[in-house]
Amino acid sequence: MTEQSQWLQLQIDKLAEQQTKFTDRAFWLALKEMVREQDRRNDQLSGEVDGRTWRPDKW
Amino acid sequence: MTTLVLVSHPHLADSTSQQFLKASLPENTDIVWEHIESQAHLDVAKEQEQLRQADRIILQFPLYWYAAPAGLKAWEDTVLTRSFVYGDHRYPLADKELGIVVTTGMPAKAFQRGGAEGLTLDAALAPLAAVAHRAKMTWLPTFAIHQFAYLEEPEKLQLVVDYQRYLTQTQPDSLQARQTWFAQKLPGMIDQLPPEQQATGRLIEAEFAQQQDDIEALADTLSLIKERDDD
Repeated sequence: MTEQSQWLQLQIDKLAEQQTKFTDRAFWLALKEMVREQDRRNDQLSGEVDGRTWRPDKW
Repeated sequence: MTTLVLVSHPHLADSTSQQFLKASLPENTDIVWEHIESQAHLDVAKEQEQLRQADRIILQFPLYWYAAPAGLKAWEDTVLTRSFVYGDHRYPLADKELGIVVTTGMPAKAFQRGGAEGLTLDAALAPLAAVAHRAKMTWLPTFAIHQFAYLEEPEKLQLVVDYQRYLTQTQPDSLQARQTWFAQKLPGMIDQLPPEQQATGRLIEAEFAQQQDDIEALADTLSLIKERDDD
């Protein structure tokens, strides 16, 4: 997880905690899940870019 | 986009899951909500007009003996007349999306061959899918809520937004569609925050957009590499 994403998730958590309405809290917490998903996809895509770039057979 | 939610339940006031879903309806969106059994008399012209106006039609009900409650069948038999759906070859419902929100008392694993129910939900809902097919509508993957009474708070919180997305988000439900849905919803959510929380809200919005851009850039790079590898 990148520092940026960690910071983002923390901010969202804080904001969610401050919401009194159930559906508002639900939105911010779901956004946090969304950010986690972005993070995973970012890792996977970066890994695939690295893997495809590092090809000894193409040296 | 206009979404029409047609709820069928013989005792709506007593249903905690239906009350929960009603309270979860997204705000500031074009949603028409109707409880079928509350209509003393089904106004066919009005019902058909509502269907014409909607882009996405949601049929929402508890599963009773592997089917929708009798109220929904009565609605179908009354409102979906042959001439309206396909008889005059105008197909007024063509290309509209039809989604099913179904609640069940049994867990998801029961709805498979060898499971306690021995029947998939897709199989149980086949008659409704056939109606969609006949009307040239687009059938959406079913949104099933199993054993609502056993859901813990984190699951209920997630359900609120999953349900809102099912009603209003572009289909198919891809990462890109999900990101776009949240990005569109964020400004309105930030506006309704107390003033002292709005700056944080805007920072979150900017950072979220940045993450979205980063993924898009990576996906572009990857497709370039793939193209080159194919050569």
